[in-house]
Amino acid sequence: MILALSLGVAVLFGAGSYLMLKHDLIRLIIGMVLISNATNLFIMSAGLTTGAAPIYPLGGETSDPLVQAMTLTAIVISFAVTALVLSLAWRVYVSHLSVDIRELSRAEELQADRDDEVGQPDSDELGAPYKDSEGVRRTVDQPPGKEAQR
Amino acid sequence: MMELPLGILWFGAVIVAMLDGTRHRNAVLSIVILASALVSTLVLGADVYRNGTQEMVVGGWEQGVGISLRIDTLGIIFAALSLAVLLAALVFETANGIKARIFPALVLFMGLGLTGVFFTGDAFNFYVFFEIAMISAYVLASYGETPRQFRSAFIFIVVNLLGSMLFLISIAALYHTTGRLDLVGIKAQVPLVAESPVVLISAVVFVAFGLKLGLFPFHFWLPAVYTGTRASVAAILSGALANIGSYGLIRFGADLLPRELEFGAPVLLVLGATSILYGGVQSISRHSANEVLAYSSIGQVGYIMVALAIGGDAGVFAAILYTVINGWNKALLFLAVSMRGWLVGTAFVIGAFSVAGVPPAAGFLGKVVMFRAAIEDASWSIVALVLLGGGLSFLYMFQLYRRRFWIAGEEEEESAHLPQVIVVGMAVGLLAIGLWPQPLLELTDQAVLGIMGTDTAP
Repeated sequence: MILALSLGVAVLFGAGSYLMLKHDLIRLIIGMVLISNATNLFIMSAGLTTGAAPIYPLGGETSDPLVQAMTLTAIVISFAVTALVLSLAWRVYVSHLSVDIRELSRAEELQADRDDEVGQPDSDELGAPYKDSEGVRRTVDQPPGKEAQR
Repeated sequence: MMELPLGILWFGAVIVAMLDGTRHRNAVLSIVILASALVSTLVLGADVYRNGTQEMVVGGWEQGVGISLRIDTLGIIFAALSLAVLLAALVFETANGIKARIFPALVLFMGLGLTGVFFTGDAFNFYVFFEIAMISAYVLASYGETPRQFRSAFIFIVVNLLGSMLFLISIAALYHTTGRLDLVGIKAQVPLVAESPVVLISAVVFVAFGLKLGLFPFHFWLPAVYTGTRASVAAILSGALANIGSYGLIRFGADLLPRELEFGAPVLLVLGATSILYGGVQSISRHSANEVLAYSSIGQVGYIMVALAIGGDAGVFAAILYTVINGWNKALLFLAVSMRGWLVGTAFVIGAFSVAGVPPAAGFLGKVVMFRAAIEDASWSIVALVLLGGGLSFLYMFQLYRRRFWIAGEEEEESAHLPQVIVVGMAVGLLAIGLWPQPLLELTDQAVLGIMGTDTAP
């Protein structure tokens, strides 16, 4: 049982780490989900008892309820964070028209060049125009796709 | 009384979250809430200072059932520092005009998470509060909502989520090996269990907090995030959120796992020294102000690592004091560098002196205790390292000052008055600590006594 659980944790964590090295943001997020599930499984295995009742009936041998409570909390937290990351990925897509990390780092380099010219990052670039992947000038207030909604 | 700061922040944050934070009235309300939480923390701190560490279980539950709080001087120092930085950043942003309705609520939630982390007596609640602070930071990192801030927020989330998962794994492993979740119990049990698993767990804890702190091999996310965000958010991240990393290392390293800390001291020393040199050299080669300060942060946490590696009472003393002064310094500098005017320039100079360790600014004190720890340890290479690091930081700080306030100063107009007053107030605070360090030294001394002095029986 211990072997099976350790293998489960290892495979989940490994697959998650592999996905996190991908260029695609969505795969990266799935990798994060896998890693957090590996963690949940690890917490469960920290209080591992086989063959014992979860909590009830009292009096007989019961397994440790504390790890289950901790796992439940961890699941809720990772659920919230996953939702947050997905919404952020959507905003990244809206402002860059791409979920490819190489595309994003190219934008980062352009930005760094601009910083070097000015000597200071324009911290008040709210609404400042930028070029998307097709070279069209856009502003944050009017990201692609927003026109259709309005 | 003990849960008062947490209670104020909790209910305050929930109420403010429902209001529109871009309105001036609501922003002022959140400032009042944060200020009253800070005041109640200070009152609580006076009580803890007089009567020693306090413990309680929230809601009148039995010991071991409810959320347990355990407040010692170390927690009070960190909570007061973090809340003060958050307050300064919130007032600063309010004076400049808040641009997102959720901003004040996020600052309050982060205050809640940080205070909880510093006050909790339970390892799992430590993780939960830590996540509250981190999630607010994830959203804050994208505050401003430019493409660049979304990119940096994404990096921030991915890296720090991985760190959180590692921390959670190490808590589960600690629970498995010691059978306890309360910090006092873990501390009592650790010497009784086999050494090898605990060493592994300590390594994971170290990586988790090293990631938060932006220590050398785990620093790669930090420059992108600090340069991308707005001044107030950068001040919050470097002055308040980074405290989790150093607090965690002091609490879990020096307090709970002292044997393993000593075992890992050479690694900490090497990584700390690399951090100092790498951060210093990179800062000198950078042009944009935020980037210089970001790399400077990487260098400064190196000192904390070196102090922990030296260990003993003097080492932990230096680590705590350096963290406090560094957090305040960084918050001041990130705010000051985004503004113009001679008052801000003066405040920046004081902050820069403090980073370089020139008297009478408070940073001098930090360097002195580092020297004291190194000399007591009779390790002259560390003395040389601290001297070299100080020289490097003086160099890049002066470069930055010249570039920001001498050359480009003519074209841009002076910033608004209130933000300038805040920054000058923070600088005066730095000077005051430098000129009259006795209260801070005594507090730190008591915190060290609480960690190192007493072997609490189970």
